[in-house]
Amino acid sequence: MTEEDQLSRRSFLSIATWAIGGFMGIVLAIPALAYIIGPSLQRTKSENWVRLGSTSKVEIGNPSLFKTVVENQTGWIVSEAEISAYVITENGRDFSALSNICTHLGCRVRWIPESEQFFCPCHNGVFDSQGLVISGPPPRPLDRYETRVENDQLFILVGG
Amino acid sequence: MAVQVGNWLDERLGWRKVWEAIFLRKVPKVNWLYTLGSATLFVGLLQIFTGILLTIYYVPTPDHAYDSVQYITTQVPAGWLIRGLHHWGASAMVVLAVLHMIRVILYGAYKFPREVTWFSGVFLLLIVLGFGFTGYLLPWDQKSYWATTVGTRIAGVAPVVGESILRIMRGGEDLSAITLARFFGTHVWVLPTALILLVALHIYLVIRIGISAVPKREE
Repeated sequence: MTEEDQLSRRSFLSIATWAIGGFMGIVLAIPALAYIIGPSLQRTKSENWVRLGSTSKVEIGNPSLFKTVVENQTGWIVSEAEISAYVITENGRDFSALSNICTHLGCRVRWIPESEQFFCPCHNGVFDSQGLVISGPPPRPLDRYETRVENDQLFILVGG
Repeated sequence: MAVQVGNWLDERLGWRKVWEAIFLRKVPKVNWLYTLGSATLFVGLLQIFTGILLTIYYVPTPDHAYDSVQYITTQVPAGWLIRGLHHWGASAMVVLAVLHMIRVILYGAYKFPREVTWFSGVFLLLIVLGFGFTGYLLPWDQKSYWATTVGTRIAGVAPVVGESILRIMRGGEDLSAITLARFFGTHVWVLPTALILLVALHIYLVIRIGISAVPKREE
């Protein structure tokens, strides 16, 4: 064996070791990365039509508060959460449902019948009967749920 | 550029000497059985890596342990792989460590001046078995529950102190949340600390003393 042969054998083994080691590192790093960031990419909330109640309970021209319970799954834990929505109708046929969560910082708004406005007690946010901002800090109108009526039962689309 | 950075660092850290001592040391002509120790070390590093990943989702309480393990296995991307590697790696650790020990025994590599290497190796094997025993309970399914019931019961039959050992291991009369929590704590804090310290000593001695040659037929 000449000096050159020994050198190339040595550097070949060195390169091979680094290559195999690097390959194993990548093979391990990719699943590890997927494992770590996986749940943050998964959509945990699925869209669901949730029954609010009978349409006959909605007063014409006066937002009525409906409460319902939805199941939330986070990780391996299933929990129940109460959601509330103000349902509004002008004619008893077309319904719209507004979230009662203030778009400012998430406090619950309530309907003040005397002034016909939604009022948020946290920072004095005020919305009109359609959920549009009248005054105060809220950056956008109240969120709306999609609604559907089936056999005089009112449903809203939750999640998504 | 890379050479310059290497030189700059070497002037300050002296890392080339360390590198040479670890990877470029002289070894006698040996056979493939001499790779068993490195193989054990490699699987051990893999166990540390996958074990750390598992703790990202695993929760060691009776009401969450089983569900979080199921969540890892069925919901988290590559969770089945990470858990599978950790699961099979555990068995591989024991098998490789024992094979490594058998090689050392048969080649007489435990003799002077390598006795301390041997002692530390024996404790390392016990630590590996401890890892296996404590890790087995963590999925908190029927198999792990009853295996730990039996395993702690076996410790309980030791004369005089058996009953105390049993109670200390379980943290009370029966297997409970306390048992699960202390097995988890032992598995992820106590044993890894002991393992890393002893592995450092073990490898330091291997490098300092050098590995033994294959014994000759007549000497």
